[in-house]
Amino acid sequence: MIQICNVSMSYQKDSTALIDLTIRIPKGDFVYLTGASGAGKSTLLKLLYGAEKPTRGQILIDGQNITRLRSSRIPHLRRRIGIVFQDFKLLNSRTLFENVAFPLEVQGRKRFEISTKVYQALKHVGLHGKLHRFPLQLSGGEQQRAAIARALVGDPMILLADEPTGNLDDEVTQEIMELFKGANARGTTVILATHNRDLIRQFPRRVLLLDKGRLKEDYTP
Amino acid sequence: MLDRVRCLMRRVWRNLKQSPVLCTAAIGTVAVALTIIAFFGIVVLNVQQVTRQWSQDIQVTAYLEQSPSASQIQAWTAKIKAMPEVQKVVFVSRDEAFRRFQKRLGPDAELLEGFGPEILPAAMEITLKPPYRNQAGVGELVGRLRQDANFSDLTYEQEWLTRFDAFIGLLKLGGVIFGGFLLFAALFIVANTIKLTLYARRDEIEIMGLVGGSSMYIKTPFLLEGALQGLVGGLLAVAGAFGLFQWLLKEGLAGFLLISGIGHILFLSLPQQLLLVAAGTALGLLGSAASLRKFVRI
Repeated sequence: MIQICNVSMSYQKDSTALIDLTIRIPKGDFVYLTGASGAGKSTLLKLLYGAEKPTRGQILIDGQNITRLRSSRIPHLRRRIGIVFQDFKLLNSRTLFENVAFPLEVQGRKRFEISTKVYQALKHVGLHGKLHRFPLQLSGGEQQRAAIARALVGDPMILLADEPTGNLDDEVTQEIMELFKGANARGTTVILATHNRDLIRQFPRRVLLLDKGRLKEDYTP
Repeated sequence: MLDRVRCLMRRVWRNLKQSPVLCTAAIGTVAVALTIIAFFGIVVLNVQQVTRQWSQDIQVTAYLEQSPSASQIQAWTAKIKAMPEVQKVVFVSRDEAFRRFQKRLGPDAELLEGFGPEILPAAMEITLKPPYRNQAGVGELVGRLRQDANFSDLTYEQEWLTRFDAFIGLLKLGGVIFGGFLLFAALFIVANTIKLTLYARRDEIEIMGLVGGSSMYIKTPFLLEGALQGLVGGLLAVAGAFGLFQWLLKEGLAGFLLISGIGHILFLSLPQQLLLVAAGTALGLLGSAASLRKFVRI
């Protein structure tokens, strides 16, 4: 369960990115975070993975108030969250296997366990035949699938995705959305930020519409 | 535990392998900066040696109006030797003084024909302990000696002492300013070079943070890498300083320095060499730590 209570966030005194947001996202939910550019979608995601702290309000994840987390505890929060970005954020100097293994290495998992889990994650996104390729040897869709494998390899309870299909064509977008749906079906809470209304129409789920930092609508189509 | 150490070493090795040019640049920067500091240190070391040699000439001579008896000589020698500034006291009789004078005149000694030792006074030659071989030390000793009426006629080359003191003061001040400047410049350059290597890997650092890497997990390999680069840079600096020592000091300035009265030119001692390598390691470590503060904000 994610509870966002009266959260406001401003980067500078005169510009407010989020204004008094109150949202409740039950465990296992699939939520679209939508709105025009600058509406506050990415800021809200940043608050959820602890990259920023709200200027007001509280955010609770499974009862834990993450706005009061000491910075040394933030890595532990992030280990429970998978993050997918529009620009993939893969390391081009590392193979797909190494990229996906990264979160598990960080957690200090055993090598055998890492190998098994990475192979499974890559198999799940259909890239198990390209273990030793480098990101730049792959298409955009494949890179995003690898990024999703990296986000899911640690079995996170929450998956955050910031415009994950923004750089991809329709066909690849469908494939990527199937992966998110699959993760959600296995119990992962998915929060997907997008301004693509077609995507919401094709894969209807709960929608949180942000407008200039405020929650304008909360509906399920 | 062993797995983690192995993983850490693998990451350090991978980082070094990944950007050999930047790694070489960091090592080179540490090496050049420390070579300059080491060379400056060697010069200071040898100039100190020269000044130590010169300071041996600092002595106070008390001329005696009458030739003292053996018991007086013994008593005065004991009294002067008990003074805290005094290292050695030598009684120079009139005969000894005359002999020295003749020797100093060399071929012109015939000028002294017809004269005897009575033309020169007996004297007590007083050598000071090294810490007192300066204007203040000599001043204190002279003040103490003047309290005894037997030692009223004292010489101690006041003007030379003033100039010697000024020279030593200038040398120390110059050493502190120049050495401090070099050290600060070295730290600044090394920190910036390491910052460049981190800048090249900022994506990796960012992603490590996003997938849950702790501050320690992210920083440790970079700190070790910085320390390792500093260590190699420090070793190269010892080698570089030795090369410069052989080529510039031993060959080029040997004649000049030997004229100044020192027997041989010194290189850094083993503890000083180890200190240089340790300084390189610390420089790499501090440079990395300073740069990481900017890049890792977890």
